[in-house]
Amino acid sequence: MKLLRQLSTALSISVLALANAAMAHSPICACYDNGDGTVTCEGGFSDGASAEGVAMRIVDESDRVLQVGEMDARSTYTFDMPDGEFHVIFDAGMSHIVTIFSDDIE
Amino acid sequence: MPSRVAAMHSASVLAATLCIFGTAPALAHFQMLYTAETALTSGQATQLLMLFTHPAHGGPNMTMGEPEALYLISQRGEAAEPVTTDLQEYVEPISWHSEDGSVDAFQASLPRTLTRSLGDYVFVLEPSPYYEPQEDKYIQQFTKTVMNIAGVPGNWAEPVGLPAEIVPLDKPYANWTGGVFRGIVVAGGEPVPYAELEVEYVNHAPDLEQHRFSADPEVEYPQDAFGTLSIRANSQGEFTIGLPRAGWWGICALEIGSDTEHDGKPLSQDAVLWIQVKDMQ
Repeated sequence: MKLLRQLSTALSISVLALANAAMAHSPICACYDNGDGTVTCEGGFSDGASAEGVAMRIVDESDRVLQVGEMDARSTYTFDMPDGEFHVIFDAGMSHIVTIFSDDIE
Repeated sequence: MPSRVAAMHSASVLAATLCIFGTAPALAHFQMLYTAETALTSGQATQLLMLFTHPAHGGPNMTMGEPEALYLISQRGEAAEPVTTDLQEYVEPISWHSEDGSVDAFQASLPRTLTRSLGDYVFVLEPSPYYEPQEDKYIQQFTKTVMNIAGVPGNWAEPVGLPAEIVPLDKPYANWTGGVFRGIVVAGGEPVPYAELEVEYVNHAPDLEQHRFSADPEVEYPQDAFGTLSIRANSQGEFTIGLPRAGWWGICALEIGSDTEHDGKPLSQDAVLWIQVKDMQ
């Protein structure tokens, strides 16, 4: 019983630690019009962590997914600019999501 | 080491000052490497001002020679590789005006493509040595200003490897009024124990359009020692300063570089770091 209580306490601390780790940084993403029909997005976190592997989605006005991909080793993702309005979703999971609308991409 | 006291460049100004204060104020030379905002929410074109002046009093200003080097080292994320970009092609001469006349200074207008990415931007100015006739010596102040875009940190704490350098221990672009700022004085890669430092507040806002300082000071000094704050680093070369007011603060470590002679005259190789402070609102 004592062992179970200790294990339970240890598990609670682990969960808390994970939650704290998740809260210790914020996701950051910015996108630029390259002027050649493509857009490049850069990602990162406020603690300086790499965004490599973070899921990227390009979505139209009807929430239809147009393109999917992920941040590369340089924490960048380049895609062909769709026709019409769209938005970019930088999805690092655990509510670490940034949405950028096409109107804000220069 | 005696504190450097700069003499006024104009006899009339000196006479007027003596009349008002009864004694000449101690003024510290500071190489400015100024941009209006160092904590940006998104990338944009960047304007840099390079001016050799006494910021606590908005002058007197000194004529600068052509900079030996201007470059930036940028880094997006702490694990990323730093990227060095030569900015010499953007350097252009300007005249900086004051009631005492105009001096040669420089500016650099950087396109947005250079400063649009997330992360840290360490701007580095290596000026040519300035001959100070009142002291019969040359002064060369290696100067750093650190900008950040969107809060992604990078290389703000990394030494550049200058002959004389202040390495930050706190982010130079993220400081609250009432906080402190810490750094290490370094020369040739090694800390400088008990280095002599001077700290000044930019008391007259630079106007990058009109190329002159605001005529109105931000603060009044109760006594001359408050214009240029003189402190020493500790035995490890570290220092801490308080930040009592929002705006720009310059920190200068004096005579720490290994080169001590230029054109047959004594040379003081100094290190300057600029930090920006904001009010909590």
